Amino acid sequence: MSLMRVCDLMDRNVIVCGLDDSVKDVVRLMKANQFCPIVVVDPTGEVWGLVSRLAVIRLYGKDLSQISAEDVMRSYKVEVDPQWPIERAIDLMKRTRFEHLIIIDPHAGPKRPIGILSSFNVVWYMSNIATGHYEHTLRMAEK
Amino acid sequence: MEQKVVRLMRRGAVTCGEDVSIRKVAQIMAVNSAHYCVVINQKHEVLGIISSRSILKAFGRDLDQTRAADILLPHTFTITPNTPIEEAVRLMDRRKIEHVIVTQPGNRTVLGLLHAEDIVDKMAQD
Repeated sequence: MSLMRVCDLMDRNVIVCGLDDSVKDVVRLMKANQFCPIVVVDPTGEVWGLVSRLAVIRLYGKDLSQISAEDVMRSYKVEVDPQWPIERAIDLMKRTRFEHLIIIDPHAGPKRPIGILSSFNVVWYMSNIATGHYEHTLRMAEK
Repeated sequence: MEQKVVRLMRRGAVTCGEDVSIRKVAQIMAVNSAHYCVVINQKHEVLGIISSRSILKAFGRDLDQTRAADILLPHTFTITPNTPIEEAVRLMDRRKIEHVIVTQPGNRTVLGLLHAEDIVDKMAQD
């Protein structure tokens, strides 16, 4: 087992929206933030769910201003600690088929999101690029 | 009027051969910031696609011995530039995939890809 933890790999830039925000606003937020998933929070900042790209595109052609983020979000169910070993998080993603895990601040009272671990973060981890393969791969591309 | 995939698709794709190791596929995806890799044969015909989800599911296997062909999603989920966007969205939703390969009508040469991001982008503009 590696020493890599969830907090070493997760994206710390969490983009949030409110429960009552329309999907139109969510889509604009996604576009302005490299199409990342949007975390849905209540007025106290506590996490309620996540809106993914797939959840949004199935509404193609509909009036997005009439649908709220709460209607399309996947409810937050699984609590993930940033200090978990990365293998434990990957195992959880494999079992639950979740593409993204919301990472919660374990020291805050309400469940405040502090990061998102996506399957693409895991690709980075599995590529071993962090251990020096990066330059080698780039040289191969040039050849 | 019904819009076609050709309006939103991206030309070209990140590709790899069928015998490449999963580790190498992960490196290709990471270096190109691509959440997918299209697997092609020596005739440049599409065999299937590997997503970051496929790589994740392979965690625990020997990444240097397992080949791209072992984990790819078959090329049956392809569309042509003339496919209506609604139909492409239904395919992505039904199969829970964020990328669909766009091929030439009648053959298996890759023209490009339709990403969920491209559809979100269009929805943000409308």
